[in-house]
Amino acid sequence: MEQNIDLTKLSDSDKKELNQVLTNEAQKSNIQQTVHHLNEVCWQKCITSKISSGALDKSEEVCAQNCVERWMDSSLAILSKLDNMRH
Amino acid sequence: MSSLFGSSSAVPQTSEEIKAAVMRQLQQEAAMANARSLIGKINKHCFQACVPTPGSSLSSKENTCLSSCMEKYIAMWNVTSKTYIARVGAETKRMGGQDAAAIASMAAGQPEGGSGILG
Repeated sequence: MEQNIDLTKLSDSDKKELNQVLTNEAQKSNIQQTVHHLNEVCWQKCITSKISSGALDKSEEVCAQNCVERWMDSSLAILSKLDNMRH
Repeated sequence: MSSLFGSSSAVPQTSEEIKAAVMRQLQQEAAMANARSLIGKINKHCFQACVPTPGSSLSSKENTCLSSCMEKYIAMWNVTSKTYIARVGAETKRMGGQDAAAIASMAAGQPEGGSGILG
């Protein structure tokens, strides 16, 4: 799979394209990491009763959605307060 | 352009083949890293939830709990991901195209990676 790939043989246009793909993958990975972090936070807040089934029940699902939305609200609020402090 | 993915054993020679090989490897490694994170989190939270007092072996009750917990964690991951991505899309639009995911990742305490908001 990873045998001697000679990157110097890449054409300029393919280099450019790969660069774009890499940027996209980095962004995707960044988003996934945030989702991992968020899911962990929200799991602790929303899954409080004994685990009796593999499915999310309705209240857990709503809690998870609210958790994500309010987390976003909080981060944006904090960042805008920090931004204000600079002025 | 034609026989790109045919013989994966051959050493990629042309620019086209090299590009395809790099992309394939990139995507595989990204998927692997994501899976590793997920497995780690599942293990952490489900062990905590399902095995409060470790005995000399896993009981069948603990085993059942672990598989339910795993399913639940993944189900919740999907909800979280969907909700988060929708919100980031809305915020990005609201901020006139500024990358809201990069901003949110600061709040998640992640080191800035790839396309940063400041760069």
